[in-house]
Amino acid sequence: MSDFDPGRRRFLGHLGLAGLGALGASSFLSACASSASGPTTGNGSGAVTIQSNLSSPQAKAAMEKLIANFNAQGKGTASLNTIASETFRTQLPTYLTSANPPDLYTWYAGSVANDYASRNLLLDVSDVWKSLGDYPQSLRTLSTDASGKQIFVPMNNYWWGFFYRKSNFAKWGVQEPKTWTEFLALCETLKGKGVPPIGIGLGDTPWVASAWFDYLNIRINGAPFHRELLAGKQRFDDPKVKAVFTRWREALPYFDPKGKAYPFQEATTALLAGKTGMFLIGTFFADAAPKDALGDLDFFRFPIIDPAVPLAEEAPTDGFFASAKTANPTGTRALLTYLSGVEAQEAYVKASSGIVLPANPKAKASDSPLVVKGKAMLDEAKELTQFFNRDSSDALQPTADTALTKFIDKPDQIDAILREWQTSAEKVFKG
Amino acid sequence: MNKLRTGAFHTGMILLSLLWLGPVIWVVVMSTRSFDDIAAHGVGSLPRSFTLDTYRQAWTDGGELRALINSMLVTVPSVALSLGLAAVAAFALSRFRIPGRRTILLLMLAGNLLPPQILLIPVAKFSELTGLYDTLWALIAVQVGFGLGFYTFVLHGFMRDLPGEIQEAATIDGAGVGQIFTRVMLPLTRPALAALGALSFTWIFNDLLWAITVLRTDDNMPVTPALLGLQGQFVSSWNVIAAGTVIAAVPTVAVFLRFQRHFVSGLALGAVK
Repeated sequence: MSDFDPGRRRFLGHLGLAGLGALGASSFLSACASSASGPTTGNGSGAVTIQSNLSSPQAKAAMEKLIANFNAQGKGTASLNTIASETFRTQLPTYLTSANPPDLYTWYAGSVANDYASRNLLLDVSDVWKSLGDYPQSLRTLSTDASGKQIFVPMNNYWWGFFYRKSNFAKWGVQEPKTWTEFLALCETLKGKGVPPIGIGLGDTPWVASAWFDYLNIRINGAPFHRELLAGKQRFDDPKVKAVFTRWREALPYFDPKGKAYPFQEATTALLAGKTGMFLIGTFFADAAPKDALGDLDFFRFPIIDPAVPLAEEAPTDGFFASAKTANPTGTRALLTYLSGVEAQEAYVKASSGIVLPANPKAKASDSPLVVKGKAMLDEAKELTQFFNRDSSDALQPTADTALTKFIDKPDQIDAILREWQTSAEKVFKG
Repeated sequence: MNKLRTGAFHTGMILLSLLWLGPVIWVVVMSTRSFDDIAAHGVGSLPRSFTLDTYRQAWTDGGELRALINSMLVTVPSVALSLGLAAVAAFALSRFRIPGRRTILLLMLAGNLLPPQILLIPVAKFSELTGLYDTLWALIAVQVGFGLGFYTFVLHGFMRDLPGEIQEAATIDGAGVGQIFTRVMLPLTRPALAALGALSFTWIFNDLLWAITVLRTDDNMPVTPALLGLQGQFVSSWNVIAAGTVIAAVPTVAVFLRFQRHFVSGLALGAVK
């Protein structure tokens, strides 16, 4: 919040600093001063500020409701600050390193949070975790940094899968595939019917291709190898990585050729209009679907390639971390405790239209068949991964975008592409 | 032959203006479509629905009113201050033999040639050091600072060409420097000031970069970042964003229409020397 102090000394300071004494402009300025001053924060008992990137109307409304509920409880006050998600992404390091940072932030669990924690920017929230005894171990591990303390509180997660329209699959007379062979057979059938089998949207949103890489890698080489690779402990020009692309090439002829031109939102439109057969995407895509199409949506798990590899699924986890420099650690922890509670999590799921699963195991998810199926799929998985950028860093993501887009264009140059990927990844890891 | 030429001219001009107006019309049409229509048929298709609820959503849910007020609170003082300071500077540099005046002018202009992107982090850190971070003051200071060089340059060119005799006559009549500036130079510079005023209003009003650099509270954000804030993390309601854009364009269009006359004459006067 604004740290404007309406005291006289401060006011003169502002005048002097801005060099605004001239031209009798002070009348303008005093008009500005009164409006630029927001609620004052920063002292130990002040409101906790939450910097939120949940800017879509439904999610924003859901967060506003949660904060209103918290304030009504009288255990402290909080104020919500919603920032456009793209702005938030670029400004987050500035927020965290500023002298008077906001207290709490929405962001991702995993290596992104751990990275900030290793620079001592995040508040130790182990106290909050004491009341989260019934959270699954996987979420606890995910929220723990290298030094063993918890620095993240998960709010919810979602899943990725091959989404399709039930009515279209019925019309084409096809079934959900379980294995890679069945999957390729399904693609062949759809292609025979003149429908591009696999939809994708890489224009403006090239990161969508990383889902294919992640999934093929965790199906072929397993989640531990995948994590090591993204942490820089394995090499991208390893033969095991090449095996991923060998499989991918088998499916490549079935990709929608138009998918390179438009973003995933339009790929969603194409899927719903029956112009593509299925689409590997996260549940957030449903926000781009008209309400009447939602009931017709279904999905299947990314097909099994090697049954010997322990089953892993992508389940990006969203939640909160707090600034180490917060002036009000008690209030921040109180708010985190509230947000991780059953009541808040159920209220969020209900108010946001997105298909998300609450992190608190006692909180009830929406009971739509789609959500029940998604939850069952994640519960069955032995391991959960986040997503390419969340398991590595936002800096490594562009290297993947370049490599994967190039591969989709020129699959026979894979050796050169992987060597190049390794070189650019090394630059990122060296920082 | 002549008829043919006129005909070709008109056809060409109509096509050109359509090309120009196309995107604007597209945005206006999009702002009246429903979300389900866009989701089902894509942003580029012909409209199959009509609603004005998008404007209500942009205005209330998107917080455009608050954002427009913030924009005006930044833009009006910034324009007044930077033009005022630039007029004083241009007056001094063009009408008096100040040592090194050429260097000063070139230095001010050179500052404008720096891409603003390389100054983002210094500006953010500096505004934090001075305690102005996340206040509209910071934004005003930045806008004034960055505009000053160019405005001074233009006004300098304009004032230099005003006949020296006017100044001499005023001096003989007993006017001091201050009086010459306020009662002789400023009225004569009015066309240039009006043109620059319209230009700088548009620039400052439409600025996004500095706003998101020095502000972080959504209640303080001017209209451009507020429009950006209508975008969701993954999915955006393009119809609401289009409606918000139409609303946000109103003030600049109004200012431009008001100053249009000065704008054309002012620019011509400043340019031809």
